[in-house]
Amino acid sequence: MIVIRIALRSLLRRRSRMLLIGLLVVFGTLLLVFGTTVTRSASITSRNSIIRNFTGDFIVYAARSREIPSPFAFNTPLPVVPNTQEVNAFLGAQPEVEATVPFAQNYSLLSVASGTESVDVPFIFYAADPGAYFRTFENVRIVEGKPLTGGPGILISRYQNDHYQKRYGVRLSVGDQVTALGLSGGGGVNALRVTVRGIFEPVYYANVFNYINFMDAASYSQLFNFTGVSGGLPPGLEKGLAAASESEEGIFNLAGTSIGSIDTAKLKAEAVSGYTMIAVRLKDHAAMETVRARLAAQGWPVKTARWDQASSFFANVASAVQAFIYFATALVFLVVTFIFMNTLVINIIERTGEIGTMRALGAERSFIRSVFLTETLLLNVAACIIGMIASLALVLAGRTTGIPLPETVSQYLVGGGPLPVVPSIGPFITALLVVVAVSILATLLPIRVATRITPLAAMNDR
Amino acid sequence: MSVVKLVDVQKYYMLGDTRVDALRGISLTIEKGEFLAIAGPSGSGKSTILNMIGCIDNPSTGRVLIDGADVEHLSDTELTRYRRTKIGFIFQSFNLIPVLNVYENIEFPLLLRRTMTRREREKIVMRFVEEVQLTDRLKNKPTELSGGQRQRVAIARALVTNPLIVLADEPTANLDSATGHKIVELMKTINEMEKTTLVFSTHDAHIMEHARRVVNLRDGLVVGDESRSAA
Repeated sequence: MIVIRIALRSLLRRRSRMLLIGLLVVFGTLLLVFGTTVTRSASITSRNSIIRNFTGDFIVYAARSREIPSPFAFNTPLPVVPNTQEVNAFLGAQPEVEATVPFAQNYSLLSVASGTESVDVPFIFYAADPGAYFRTFENVRIVEGKPLTGGPGILISRYQNDHYQKRYGVRLSVGDQVTALGLSGGGGVNALRVTVRGIFEPVYYANVFNYINFMDAASYSQLFNFTGVSGGLPPGLEKGLAAASESEEGIFNLAGTSIGSIDTAKLKAEAVSGYTMIAVRLKDHAAMETVRARLAAQGWPVKTARWDQASSFFANVASAVQAFIYFATALVFLVVTFIFMNTLVINIIERTGEIGTMRALGAERSFIRSVFLTETLLLNVAACIIGMIASLALVLAGRTTGIPLPETVSQYLVGGGPLPVVPSIGPFITALLVVVAVSILATLLPIRVATRITPLAAMNDR
Repeated sequence: MSVVKLVDVQKYYMLGDTRVDALRGISLTIEKGEFLAIAGPSGSGKSTILNMIGCIDNPSTGRVLIDGADVEHLSDTELTRYRRTKIGFIFQSFNLIPVLNVYENIEFPLLLRRTMTRREREKIVMRFVEEVQLTDRLKNKPTELSGGQRQRVAIARALVTNPLIVLADEPTANLDSATGHKIVELMKTINEMEKTTLVFSTHDAHIMEHARRVVNLRDGLVVGDESRSAA
């Protein structure tokens, strides 16, 4: 009790000096609690947004792919997912799975009539079964027409359409017929007449999605020659093709081996999907690893990528902001530690006579240690609590309205719109622990100085 | 019965290569209940002797026995316990704890002992508060007291643990002459009433007249030891 009394009154005695430190601790706590809550919220929102709009909880792709697939990246064509239908059916049958959608990314040209001439405009798109895609993802709002339910065709992003107008002088409308030009695997160019079925706006991540359009799966297969045969291939050839699919050089391993003969009577033509990814949405994200493991156990030549692997840049934006907040907070607390340490040392030097007197009267070193540690903890914990209350007020305000962010920041951080704040007790506990740790750390040196003061100092205090 | 015994105590300090002798071989015995003044000019070694007796400094050579025990080999913790239980201090600059009020300053040594209930402490503190006539100043902080009042608080604080010996280092040096005399008179009265051994240092000839025994120091040596039965 006497320790607390001395500590508290000593703090009040030097209140202006201590107020400065207290304010720094309040600021540090605010930064830690509110900053962590906001970045954690951004992280959660970003995750949910990416899962709901782009990747699902995970993506299935061909095992032979050398790159992790990303619905955001269009630079490298990925290999087609083997056994797409079986894999998709298997996943669809899992109780944890809410929806799946096989899809592919590709690009082509659209030949659009402009007066008596035609203009070729670039067309980047997702190819998917529209029903499955719109059941799985929420990122499209149709502003004109219908979402590809009226028959084969394409959906155009309104931003892209505006861009066509601005750059090429053409504007597409619902019902227009255009010619899509696709480069087939064999190097030839295929042309396909497609109808513009609708115009849409992206709901989230407009900075990416403004440039992406849609094509139905059947049109896509025709445009890019995704057809094949099955039923009459000998095992040797199946094995050789499998080896070839593992590596480009694998086909040469067939040299000199008997692959058997092809039974042409059993051969049947089939449409190959051409899908390069299957996005899987789960009912509960926590089941992700279970479902991934179950799929892997089936032995299909496919791999899976988590949502964050498949959206590395966007998933990392929130993490980068979080890292920055942690860095800034660490910096603030480092400054607090040094300022506090110096202030305490100055206090101790000023109080040399007082400490010496206590020692002369019979106070042990542990008593002196307790006094200074209590002073530090009283000040810092009180400041921490004030910081927490201020943070709580901000968190609650943010919970109601969300935190408004500049649109560009919002697009990259959470896909757009105000940032919803998700309160959590974690940052509060962390802040308290950090403040206690900083307090103890900051008092180590001053306490060492204080406990080295001998009772002689009392005699010399004149 | 001797309370303190110094046997050929020397104390020197090294200032660079120069040896400074503070005490040059002092032997002194203080009996229980004595009211003793250590007198001498500045630099004669008065404070150094008090520091040795108060277990806050060690002799370079020689022995210091407090209550029959040699304190030379005691650890810091043991010396602290010794000071807490056997010695009371009165300082020249009063050395009250600035954040505690009069009552709390006097109570402080008892709190360090951690052996008494609040009620027991209160009883003892109030007894000494009355002895030093500060009952109307209990809630005052040291800054709200005069020099004489502060020294009276220090006296009560030194006596409250019923120590074997009370050491007062120039207790009147920061007081005006009249107050100084009153403080020494108060110390003397308490010495008579409580039978507490009281040793104080002074270079003021008028103040030392109150003592029953005066030990004179000069240049770290005892140059006189005079008892005054009717002081």
